[in-house]
Amino acid sequence: MKDMNLWQQLVYYFTHNGQYILDQFNRHFLISIYGVILAAIVGIPIGIYVSRHKHLATWVIGAANVIQTTPSLAMVSIIMLGLGLGVNTVILTVFLYSLLPIIKNTDTGMRNVNPDVLDAGKGMGMTRWQILRQIELPLSLSVIMAGLRNALVLAIGVTAIGSFVGAGGLGDIIIRGTNATNGGAIILAGALPTALMAIISDMVLGFLEKRFAARTQ
Amino acid sequence: MISFFNQYGGQLMQELGEHIYISAVSLALGVIVAVPLGILLTRAKKIAGFVIGLTSVLQTIPAMALLAMMIPIFGIGTTPAIVALFIYSLMPILRNTYIGMNGVDPNLLDAAKGMGMSNWQSIRWVELPQAAGVIMSGIRLSGTYVIAWTALASYIGAGGLGDMIFNGLNLYRGDLILGGSIPAIILALVVDWLLGLVEKKVTPATTQEV
Amino acid sequence: MMKRNWQKFTMLLAGLFAVALLGGCSFSWPGLAGTSPETVKIGSQNTTEQQIMANMIQQMIQHYDKNTPTTILNNLGSGNVSFEAQKRGDTDLTAIRYTGTDYQTVLNLSGETDPKIVNKQVFSQMNSKYHMTYFPSYGFADTYQFMVTQKFAKENNLQTVSDIKRVAGDMRVGIDQIWANRKGDGYSAFKNTYGFGFGHVYPMQIGLVYDALDAGKMDAVLGYSTDGRIRSYDLKLLKDDKHFFPPYNASVVVNNSTLKAHPKLKGILSRLNGEISLKTMQTLNYKVDNDLVEPAVVAQQFLKQHNYFEKGAK
Repeated sequence: MKDMNLWQQLVYYFTHNGQYILDQFNRHFLISIYGVILAAIVGIPIGIYVSRHKHLATWVIGAANVIQTTPSLAMVSIIMLGLGLGVNTVILTVFLYSLLPIIKNTDTGMRNVNPDVLDAGKGMGMTRWQILRQIELPLSLSVIMAGLRNALVLAIGVTAIGSFVGAGGLGDIIIRGTNATNGGAIILAGALPTALMAIISDMVLGFLEKRFAARTQ
Repeated sequence: MISFFNQYGGQLMQELGEHIYISAVSLALGVIVAVPLGILLTRAKKIAGFVIGLTSVLQTIPAMALLAMMIPIFGIGTTPAIVALFIYSLMPILRNTYIGMNGVDPNLLDAAKGMGMSNWQSIRWVELPQAAGVIMSGIRLSGTYVIAWTALASYIGAGGLGDMIFNGLNLYRGDLILGGSIPAIILALVVDWLLGLVEKKVTPATTQEV
Repeated sequence: MMKRNWQKFTMLLAGLFAVALLGGCSFSWPGLAGTSPETVKIGSQNTTEQQIMANMIQQMIQHYDKNTPTTILNNLGSGNVSFEAQKRGDTDLTAIRYTGTDYQTVLNLSGETDPKIVNKQVFSQMNSKYHMTYFPSYGFADTYQFMVTQKFAKENNLQTVSDIKRVAGDMRVGIDQIWANRKGDGYSAFKNTYGFGFGHVYPMQIGLVYDALDAGKMDAVLGYSTDGRIRSYDLKLLKDDKHFFPPYNASVVVNNSTLKAHPKLKGILSRLNGEISLKTMQTLNYKVDNDLVEPAVVAQQFLKQHNYFEKGAK
């Protein structure tokens, strides 16, 4: 291997371990997306509730902020002590980190809805549920989407750290690279797909966010 | 608890010191480079969009990937960690400096010009003070990021509190995991709070002042 | 217009769910191996041979019993972690356990270095105390071994570990990340037995010690005898003349409850007994550590080459 340069090694690695990298890529993405979806299911209703009870907003967002400030390695390790090694620990960690952007953006989105539109809805005799479902949520959609986008990018990073507690994913390849002779190529083979996954997720959700924003204008 | 401190107190203080040192150096380098660069960008709007776009792409790269990518280039140890963390700290600061400077009321800029201020004077006495709050919030964000990622940087041999956390993970010792994690969390929260105070202090009460 | 948006959004979420569901068939987290209750969870420490053997076990189970889902919990940091994980059921089996390690650090025994006696005590006590079944050895042992470059050995006339004593005070020694803090066969016990310590010890990732030694960054390292780089760098192994390190025979260890729940498992795993020699392990390790092939791929090639040990049915 020593006669090859880094890029040749990288190509060699990809051709010999392609399926394995794909498997880990898949696993990595699924762990991240499950955590985010879970956080959306919990966080969007909390965000809606908080936007109606402004005194709660400071507390809820403050608490989520503390979670966000916690170093992710510390978080994953502490949760591991409770939930044990494996995938569930990482999904819970992703979930916790995803809460803040989702709650915060839902709250912001709901509050930014023009009061005149709400009044119009009320005037038309819409129920609260109808107003929420047909006016407020659609209008805050792009802001909520932005929250999901932040959450997913964060999640992909957190999942990489999850390899330290046995969850697998692309972090496994990175860690193995640091153990091998001439590991540079292996490190890149793990790190580049991780980075790509984050960048592409960011772009795709960013695109959706813009589409939603354009529709509501 | 007491026996833990008796046995690991010294190690803990040393790792805490390393942690603060690595974070502080990376953040300081980030401020020194990113603030002037952000100001320059407001004077070169043509490339500003590109540079800001590029930095936001870089920022999406997971920390673990970026840290690991340093190994083939710089090897292991404190230096590669500081380089990686420095790159990370750049982005929120650069972005916020640019946004903050751009957000200054154009009327104020006209007024400054009208008073015969040079470009430099306008930056120093009008724009920077107005943008200080936004810039500071970027620095604050970078600060908490850098502390979090320094913990991870132990993996590439940088030292810091991550050493104790990884030791705990490697030996399945809850006391070591908590012993490293809790100080790291407290450090992050305290720095966030302190930089938050500074942010409040330097944020101008714009509307009343003008 | 607005309503359409909202519908699109819900459809997007539903779509993501559907994609995720299609991705897999198991119970709790679709598409994510290792989250359904009947999964056999294979623990693997963060060394190359552990990962090779973990993948081999996984592929053996897939080959012989397609209905049993499996997953690998990778990167466990030490024998302690893999043991605790198996004890609390985070894993069902550990790909490799070493008799010497369990003898000293798990069972807290000491004094014996005869492999037969150590094996016997470890096998019976792991079963009675922790309800774990030690399988017969794969056929190799992975022993802690002090090693130096041939040049350094010649210059200082080193043959045994005791010989180091003369130069130990100035030596830089690379060790793995756990040996310094390890009970039983760790650094402090070593100092008691041999009566000396080293000038500096540097805990590092075990995979890096051989390169560091070859590059002259270390004077000696405490390596693992199965590493393929010992041969490729032509390193000099120093004899453990005071028999400080116990024998570290390598076996798979399974929770008894798992063997009960998966009756086929015992037969499948037994096919690997005695099939992997020290030389084989060194070669396999070398493919991963030096030739950029993933443990999963190395395991697959090896098993295919040996036809999944179908002949040696036991």
